[in-house]
Amino acid sequence: MSSNGTIRNTSNNQDAHPYKVIVVGDSNVGKTTLTYRFCEGEFRDKIEATIGVDVRKKTIKIDEEAIVLQLWDTAGQERFRKSMCPNYYRNADAIVFIYDVTSPSSFTSLKKWVDEADINCLFDVPRVLVGNKCDHAMTVSRDAALKFADQHNMPFFETSARLDSNCDNVESIFVTLAHKLKNGRRFSPNSNPDVVTLTATVIDETSNQRSCCFLF
Amino acid sequence: MENFESEVSSLDDETTCLVNSVNSVSKKDEPSFSDDDRIDTRSELKFETVVENEGEKAKRKQIETALSSECTPLLTWKSLAISRFGLVSDDLRFTAWPLLLEVDPSTDEKNPSLQELSDHPEYNQVILDVNRSLKRFPPGIPYERRVALQDQLTVLILRVIIKYPHLRYYQGYHDVAITFLLVVGEAAAFRIMEKLSTENLRECMEPTMEKTDYRLNYIYALLYNVDRDLHDFMDKAGVGTMFALPWYLTWFGHSLNQYKDVVRLYDYFLATPPLMPLYVATALVIFRRDEIFAEGCDMASIHCLLSKIPDNLDFETILIDAMRYYEKYPPEKLEKLVRKRVEKEAKERKKNEQMARNRMNRQKSLWVRFHNCIPGWLHMTRRSRLGLVFATATVVIGYLYYIKYGIEMQHVPFGRLKNSKSSGE
Repeated sequence: MSSNGTIRNTSNNQDAHPYKVIVVGDSNVGKTTLTYRFCEGEFRDKIEATIGVDVRKKTIKIDEEAIVLQLWDTAGQERFRKSMCPNYYRNADAIVFIYDVTSPSSFTSLKKWVDEADINCLFDVPRVLVGNKCDHAMTVSRDAALKFADQHNMPFFETSARLDSNCDNVESIFVTLAHKLKNGRRFSPNSNPDVVTLTATVIDETSNQRSCCFLF
Repeated sequence: MENFESEVSSLDDETTCLVNSVNSVSKKDEPSFSDDDRIDTRSELKFETVVENEGEKAKRKQIETALSSECTPLLTWKSLAISRFGLVSDDLRFTAWPLLLEVDPSTDEKNPSLQELSDHPEYNQVILDVNRSLKRFPPGIPYERRVALQDQLTVLILRVIIKYPHLRYYQGYHDVAITFLLVVGEAAAFRIMEKLSTENLRECMEPTMEKTDYRLNYIYALLYNVDRDLHDFMDKAGVGTMFALPWYLTWFGHSLNQYKDVVRLYDYFLATPPLMPLYVATALVIFRRDEIFAEGCDMASIHCLLSKIPDNLDFETILIDAMRYYEKYPPEKLEKLVRKRVEKEAKERKKNEQMARNRMNRQKSLWVRFHNCIPGWLHMTRRSRLGLVFATATVVIGYLYYIKYGIEMQHVPFGRLKNSKSSGE
C-alpha cells in the first residue's frame, strides 16, 4: 500500500550523482500526487497519507546531460517534522514548497516551512514555490503567492497534478530545478538565473492557458 | 468483516451528524460522488478469502475449543496467536482479540459530543487521514457503509486522544485503529486502542517522534548481531531507518498489500512484547537480503525496495525468525549498541555539517563573505536599491550644482570681507 515509485521504469543513469530534492508542505496539499505525476506521468487519486518519507527517482535530460532527481516526498504532519527534520534536510540539494490554492491555511503555513528550511539547510539551495490543485476554485490570491515567492527569491508555479494538460507544467517545475542544480554545480551557487528564465519561458509558451509559470 | 450491518445500525444520532460533517469536508478532496462511485472498487488492498487449508482447519478447531472454555488462560491465547496461522480468521479474532488483551468490550463509556470532537486540535488532521484511508476498506463495500465506518473511525481515534490528553495523534495511528474497527467493532476497538495507546504505542504518541526515531535504531543493532554483512552494506549506503517508520507506527498495516497478512501480524503483535515490530522489521530485511545486495549500494534504491513489501512473502518464517532473534538478542542486550550508534550518528552529522560549512566558506568569494557580515536590515532589496539610486542622484546633482554656482558664491563673503577689510583700512 505504500506508494513508492519504482526506479527501473525511468531511464537510469546510475553513474550520475542524484540530486536530493525534498518536497514539503502541509498535509493534503498534494505532495505525493505531484511527485507521482512527475515520476510516473499519471494522476493517482485516493492516495493515502504519507508516513515518514517516500523516495522516488527520475532522470531528465538537460542539454544532453542526464540529471538524476531523487524526490523525497515527506509527511505533512507537523510532529513528523519536529524530530525527522535532520533526516529530511540532510544534504538536500533543492526544496519544493507546495501549498494548496484552495486552502488559505496551507498558504499561511508556508512561512513556517521556509523558516524550517532556513534553519536546517546549510547551503543556499534552490527553492521553488508550487500552488497545487489549480483546477479548483482558487481561494489563495495569485498576487499574494507571487509576493511571497518574490520575498523569498524563488520561482513560482501554479499547477494541478490532476489535469492531464498540466503535465507539462509539473514537468517544467522540475526542469527549472534541474537547470538550477546543473548550473549551480558548474558555477558558484545561485548564478545564471537567465538560463533558467529563458528555458522556462519556452515551456510557458507551450503550456495551455490554465497552467501558469511565473519566473523572475 | 461479517459485522458491517450491525455496526452501521449501531450508529447513534451523534455519529450520523458526523457523517454529514465528514461529507462536507471530504467534498473538497472527492468532489464528485457520482452513482458509479457509490461502490468503491479501487482498493489495492487484497481481501481475497482463501479456503482454509488443513493446517488452518486444525488451528481453527484448537481456537474453538479454547473459546468454548471460559477459563482458557492468557498464555494459551498468546501461544495460539503467535504460532503458525495465528488466529486464522476474523470471526475468531472478533472474540479472541479482546481476550488476548484482557479488555472488556461490554463496558462502554459515553461518546464525547460532536462539539467536543470537532473542537479537538487534531480533528482536522484525523478527518484528512481518515478520508484518505479508502484502501483499507474491503472492495465492493457500499458507499454509505464505508462513510459510516469512516465516521466511526474518526470518533474512535478522537475518543482515545480526548480521554488521554497527553497522547498525540500521529499519521498512521488511523491505520492501526481501522484494523481493530473492522475486526472487533466500535466498542471493543475503543478498549483495545485505549490499551495499546497507553502501552505499546505510547512512545509513538509523545509530542515529538524522538523516542520513535531512537527505537528504529534497534533494527541496525540487531542486524549488526545477526547479519553483519547486510548491516555494513546498508550502513554504507546510508539507508537510515526511515523505511521502517511506517512499519513500526502502523504494525505494517500501512505497508502490506494483503489484508490477511495485516491481521496475521496483528495476532502476533498483540501477543508479543511492544518492541516486537522492530524484530519483525529486521527479520523482513534479512529475508530480502539478496534483493538488497542486488540493488546496489544506494540509499534511494534500497529505501524504495524495502518500502515496497512484496505480496507473497512467507510471513510465518519471518515471524519465527523474529522470535528467535528476540530470544537471543532481547532489547536490553541491544541497548548499548543502539546508544552507541545514535551517538555516532549525531557526531557524524555534526562533522558533516562543519565540513559543509567550511567548504561553503572556502567557495565563497570575498564579497559574499563581506556580504554575510552585513546585518540583515542593511541588505539591498529592490526598493532600497531604487532609494539608493535616488539618493545618489540627489547628492550628485547637488554637488554639480555646488561646483557650478556654489564656488562663485563662495567668493562673495570672502570678497565682502576683503572689501570690508579694505574699506576699514
